[in-house]
Amino acid sequence: MIRIAQLSCGAEYSGVQRELEKAAEAVGARLIFPEVALDDVLNVESRFGIEVPSGDLNLAMARATRLVENPDLADAVFVCTCFRCAEGAIVRGEVRRFIHSHSRLPVLTYSFTERTTSDTLLTRMEALVTTAKMKGLLAREKQTGLTAGIDSGSTTTKAVIMRDNEIIGTGWVPTTEVLKSADAALEAALSEAKVKREELEGIGTTGYGRFLVGKHVNARLMQEEITVNSKGAVFLADAQRGAATVIDIGGMDNKAISVQDGIPGGFTMGGICAGASGRFLELTARRLGVNITELGKLALKGFHENVTMNSYCIVFGTQSLVNSLSKGSRPEDVAMAACHSVAEQVFEQQLQEVEVKQPVIMVGGTSLIEGLPKAMENLLGLPVIVPRYAQYIGAVGAALLVSGLLEG
Amino acid sequence: MRITKYIITSPESNILPSDVAMKIYGSGKDVRVKETCFGVMVDGEEDVVDSLIKEVRAMDPHGIFIKSRGFPPGDPRRCRSRRGGGPRPGYFMMECESKAMPLVSRALACEERGESVPEAAPQKAPISTEKLIEFIKDEFS
Amino acid sequence: MVKVIVFPPTSTILADMVERMGHTPLVMSGEIRKKVNTPSLESPPLNITPEDPKKGLRYAAVDVPSGIRGRMSMIGPMIDEAEAALVVKDGNCLVGCTGCARTNELARLLIKVKGIPQIELKYPTSDAEARRFVHDIRTFLEGLR
Repeated sequence: MIRIAQLSCGAEYSGVQRELEKAAEAVGARLIFPEVALDDVLNVESRFGIEVPSGDLNLAMARATRLVENPDLADAVFVCTCFRCAEGAIVRGEVRRFIHSHSRLPVLTYSFTERTTSDTLLTRMEALVTTAKMKGLLAREKQTGLTAGIDSGSTTTKAVIMRDNEIIGTGWVPTTEVLKSADAALEAALSEAKVKREELEGIGTTGYGRFLVGKHVNARLMQEEITVNSKGAVFLADAQRGAATVIDIGGMDNKAISVQDGIPGGFTMGGICAGASGRFLELTARRLGVNITELGKLALKGFHENVTMNSYCIVFGTQSLVNSLSKGSRPEDVAMAACHSVAEQVFEQQLQEVEVKQPVIMVGGTSLIEGLPKAMENLLGLPVIVPRYAQYIGAVGAALLVSGLLEG
Repeated sequence: MRITKYIITSPESNILPSDVAMKIYGSGKDVRVKETCFGVMVDGEEDVVDSLIKEVRAMDPHGIFIKSRGFPPGDPRRCRSRRGGGPRPGYFMMECESKAMPLVSRALACEERGESVPEAAPQKAPISTEKLIEFIKDEFS
Repeated sequence: MVKVIVFPPTSTILADMVERMGHTPLVMSGEIRKKVNTPSLESPPLNITPEDPKKGLRYAAVDVPSGIRGRMSMIGPMIDEAEAALVVKDGNCLVGCTGCARTNELARLLIKVKGIPQIELKYPTSDAEARRFVHDIRTFLEGLR
């Protein structure tokens, strides 16, 4: 049973403690509260560095100091505070940094409202538990044998076939009916690889539809996208040793993962927000009358500063773009403004919650829209790598990891 | 209505939690008793618990403090072992206040004897800027 | 017999003083007891559900963090019921129900503007301070009869 230490303020009083425990239970883990003495709390300033007016936050910081002294107390850490609490957000960030720099415990941070349900937390908890439980598997660097990976995403379904550490076939279809799309993607990949389904030694699935598809194809591995995508990303970017940061902006959501030696450490998942995902770029392309595959090259010729964007929201953001066009703005500038808006939102929200270390690897279908990685580079002030097969990181990661389950 | 109360003995009281527990057992009243290192938890019908507490207070009128508890004794929702370690937050508050209890006990005794109340210490005012400048010059001369 | 809210509402010493003087202390454990004894709520550990921060909207706006509104849903009714107040501002080790500084500030404000008889003190750190502390509380509580 994986023990997740809960360092929180306000969860019981927001009525969400039950949901946190449900999410932990659902992924085979248990929330625990590391023991601290009164002195630890009263002297938190000398041990952690600061004391704040809210006692529960001091208690959380005291627990963090205990964990770092006795890392065997827990297998992972979950730090959460109320959404919109400034004191909470600051302490949450510092606790994450503190644990990250003084231990190897994986840390997940979250800010909840009374509406937070266990479903929202499930993928995150699953990733946290995987990171704690499957270190051995996640450390795997090479794919062996003949395996397949299927990434059943909200917008597109991807599949890859790998043999002896090489990608030999790929398939990419829009997600309509989940199982049909999965079959179609897999068939396309098999056809390109010139292998039959029966020859496959194992299949791994990931993405929103991982369980449904996994059961359908009798998958050996059904794993959430945080661990799988980061694995695929560092494999494709040849960054399996040392630090790396993976930015995955998908069709409907986004993730930022800091990776160390191929194993995810801290990560954040943005809430479902069309304005911070490929959806906004799709809408922009349609409005500009170009194919989504051309949007990127168009954006590279533009300057986002020439277009005023009043909001990150897809509705108001699109309105801003339309207004600009009607005032005579160039399509190139509008395309770049859209890319900049998505990148900036991810930069301001997700990338402040993880340790950003080079190489920075951008993945997912949106990374092929050239304006987006360029916008991210400008914001970070760091080079951004988009590896070959960037849109297949989930499927690649799944194919790689499932090959590890086949041995022994 | 069933209620739960803590009977907390001040750290400097001559009465120990075990003394309190024995008194309650000896009363034969229909209550549940749980001894802790700082006092005793009593759980039962409100009027029974309140009358017991009157008797217990008499053992050390100034050294016994009563606190109401929301949870019944041994409730698994707050049980340390079930919650994966760590006392419930309320415990820290009690531990903290127990340090002030001897002071309050002695003060209660003085109050009952009608002793005069000492004057408040004069309010400390911040030192004037001129004086501070003098000290700075002194230090760095 | 007067209903006196103590702040912090989890204080043993303050509640005890109120009871000694024959008044009714309004304390957090009373609210907790109501919650934990309602089995249908099923939201451990305190049986505070997502409905409670909504009840807390009566005391704080929707953009105030949920933990504050949840705590206020319990402290607020106590303040509404209070006929007098005994307040200590500088409590140390306030955790749990009193673990949120913003909630504590709001609660103290609501008590202050309610216009009920109230006294504000500091926790004693010496015998002389404890003498004044006990004397002032006793005088205040006697004056409520």
